[in-house]
Amino acid sequence: MIAEYGQLALTFALALSVLLAAVPLYGSFSGNQRALLQAKPLAIGLFIFCLLAKLALVHAFLNSDFTVINVATNSSSILPWYYQITASFGSHEGSMLLWILMLAGWTALVAIFSKGLPLLMQGRILGVLGLINIGFIAFSLFMSNPFARSLPFYPVEGMDLNPLLQDFGMIIHPPLLYMGYVGFAVSFAFAIAALIGGKFDSTWARWARPWTLAAWLFLTLGIMFGSWWAYHELGWGGWWFWDPVENASFLPWLVGTALLHSLAVTEKRGTFKSWTVLLALAAFSLSLVGAFLVRSGVLVSVHSFAADPDRGIFLLVFLLLVIGSSLALYASRMNSVRSQARYQLFSREVMLWGNNVFLLTATLVVFLGTLFPLFHKELGLGTISIGEPFFNQMFYYLTIPFALLLGLGPWVRWKQQPVKPLLGPLSLIAIASLVLALGTLAAMQSVQANLALLGLLLGAWVGLSALYELYQRMSQFGSVSKGAFKLHASHYGMTIAHIGFAVLVVGVAMTKTYSVERDVRMQLNDSISLAGYQFTLLEVYPLEGANYGGEAAEIAVHDKNGEFVSQLHAEKRFYTIQRTVMTESAVHARLSRDLYVSLGEALPDNAWALRLYVKPFVRWIWLGGLLMALGALVALLDKRYRRSGPTVSAVTPAEQANA
Amino acid sequence: MRKLMFYLPLALFLALALFLLSGLFSNPMERQSVTTDKPLPAFNLPDLMNPEKRWQPQQLHGETFLLNVWGTWCPTCNAELSYMTELREQGVKIIGLYYVLPADPVLGERFDLAELQADVSNKLQQRGNPYQFNILDFDRSLALDLGVSGAPETFIIDSTGIVRAHHIGDINPQVWRSKLAPLYQQWRQQDGVQP
Repeated sequence: MIAEYGQLALTFALALSVLLAAVPLYGSFSGNQRALLQAKPLAIGLFIFCLLAKLALVHAFLNSDFTVINVATNSSSILPWYYQITASFGSHEGSMLLWILMLAGWTALVAIFSKGLPLLMQGRILGVLGLINIGFIAFSLFMSNPFARSLPFYPVEGMDLNPLLQDFGMIIHPPLLYMGYVGFAVSFAFAIAALIGGKFDSTWARWARPWTLAAWLFLTLGIMFGSWWAYHELGWGGWWFWDPVENASFLPWLVGTALLHSLAVTEKRGTFKSWTVLLALAAFSLSLVGAFLVRSGVLVSVHSFAADPDRGIFLLVFLLLVIGSSLALYASRMNSVRSQARYQLFSREVMLWGNNVFLLTATLVVFLGTLFPLFHKELGLGTISIGEPFFNQMFYYLTIPFALLLGLGPWVRWKQQPVKPLLGPLSLIAIASLVLALGTLAAMQSVQANLALLGLLLGAWVGLSALYELYQRMSQFGSVSKGAFKLHASHYGMTIAHIGFAVLVVGVAMTKTYSVERDVRMQLNDSISLAGYQFTLLEVYPLEGANYGGEAAEIAVHDKNGEFVSQLHAEKRFYTIQRTVMTESAVHARLSRDLYVSLGEALPDNAWALRLYVKPFVRWIWLGGLLMALGALVALLDKRYRRSGPTVSAVTPAEQANA
Repeated sequence: MRKLMFYLPLALFLALALFLLSGLFSNPMERQSVTTDKPLPAFNLPDLMNPEKRWQPQQLHGETFLLNVWGTWCPTCNAELSYMTELREQGVKIIGLYYVLPADPVLGERFDLAELQADVSNKLQQRGNPYQFNILDFDRSLALDLGVSGAPETFIIDSTGIVRAHHIGDINPQVWRSKLAPLYQQWRQQDGVQP
């Protein structure tokens, strides 16, 4: 019965989303105040019914109600309860419901936190979000109903959750990622509302900035946790695979990053107007295209849900309506827009323009790399695949100028920046970077011109520049301690995020250069040394889990001096219902390196195959991601975002510079 | 010129949509029914209960039948045994393809035929025996050739040994009535058997 209530709740949610789309938008065109005022209660009601639907589905999973097809195919009675909950979004149908819940959640948040917005704008934004809600809820109800029953004939036991998804990563990765994807719907709605109103002044940009920042924060965390999950779950030490579905999440992230920077220009300087609107449309459009790619079966990927052309058609029509109509609206409204602001060649505007150029080139690279096989095939040229080497090489070339620019950007002022005053601090940073990079490699006794040196140089350049710029900015208020309090939270946010990027670059370069791995055959008490560590196989014993069996190995690790470092516990699991083998790698993590062991097959003579890795600085990759997200969080705390009313453009020079 | 620039994103998107549309109708994995409408792959496998006897595709010709991939280790397979036994009583010919589970993927095969035979007869006595006989796919080669992704799966093979349908999942009254029975009857009629 509960599942039927869930379906009923989702049906009510559909009705509410139709009202949310119709009533406030009608109000905005007719000037009917009362219609506009309905937007907020409708949005909150929509969220409540979506939440009820989600809870009903979770209830069905927790009670192993196998009459519900979705439960029968994605869960089992022996699955631990926390994975039963995550199994509720492990399938196409269930994840769609999660997506809807997130979308309704953002809609309700906009309704609650939009007190500072004019009623007209509020109505338009919520109306647009209502339209998007209609599409997804209708898709869920009519094309992929998570509550569908198989009565009167139902299986006695479920098919269990895919073992790959039975991991802590599954609990947090999809919700965070979806929060990010869907969050760009808010920036999208702001842009559409601005397009309808025909006003692209700095006001809409200031309103859209915190929402964009919040969506970007979630997407960053989602991608980062996804990478970390793949690293420790897939058992071969990789952290990014350029898989089509990873790329589908990376595309909105790249455009979202460009959007964040472009919004700053539009807000502060009233320029880049049409460009910023286009980016806001593009970020969410790419989220939608990503959802289509994952769910329609057009591309092959480890992440894809089961392919179904009917679903694909529905989503494609939805894509055409949402993206097509918004781009048509964009084209028709943008004719009249002219940017007035003037700026010199060496100015922050141009720096941020450069940022956008590189980020969008990266977007294009990822987009073409992902879709080229499809284009190629549909043009009748046969099947091809584009792999890691292409993406890696393109990103090497893109990262170098991007990082150089990033180290320079925050120093450069709006409108125009004389070159001379920057020469001193910048050459200081350049020398310090060189010393730091060479010093690090010297400490590792490996000074040579390689990728690690390049990565360290770029990382140090970006990181030191961000820190020194922060210091300089603080000193402008008289003294550093005084400035530390005067400086806006968003400036700290920017500095932290830029340092995060530096940390990420160092992590990638060091891991790529210095990681070592070895496939070994070990008997009990055998020792093998790798990169200064001594790995000893202590014992291998059978494993008994709730829904799996298998083998576990204990490996002791000692360092060069014979000091004990850690005992690693690696598992090879066999999930009985799905008949799948899973590797649970053992990882000993330190900031400077990871020790990583995967247990392989048993070999004759009581020996086992093992794979050992030592991966220097791999933690820095995720630490960098975390810092970027932290930067976004700190920037969100900036109290200027919570001030209502028009912006005051009379700012002090120091303030103006640190926008 | 400037005006047209703003239509560029729309044009690019529409071009992309065209590709996506045509992509929808061409399966990227070309995976769908690898085996349907093709003859059974060649095999020469022992009978489960009587390993001296070997089975080859030609020996199965002459009558439309169901080839059911199963194993005692698979709970859903066990659950469908009783309904399939009812089908056998109604005259449906079912041949089992016994899928040997790798005893332990880490430690490799631990295969004991006598133990397996005892296990199977035990299970069939408990739940009912739908099978004319079972083919022992000891190295899972036939299952692999047939594109089996898990158990239970069932194939309809016509009287000339051509695979006519591939069903993934269990056979229950609903699946049988709505999906498999019509196909089975259709191919039976081709054999000249009236329903």
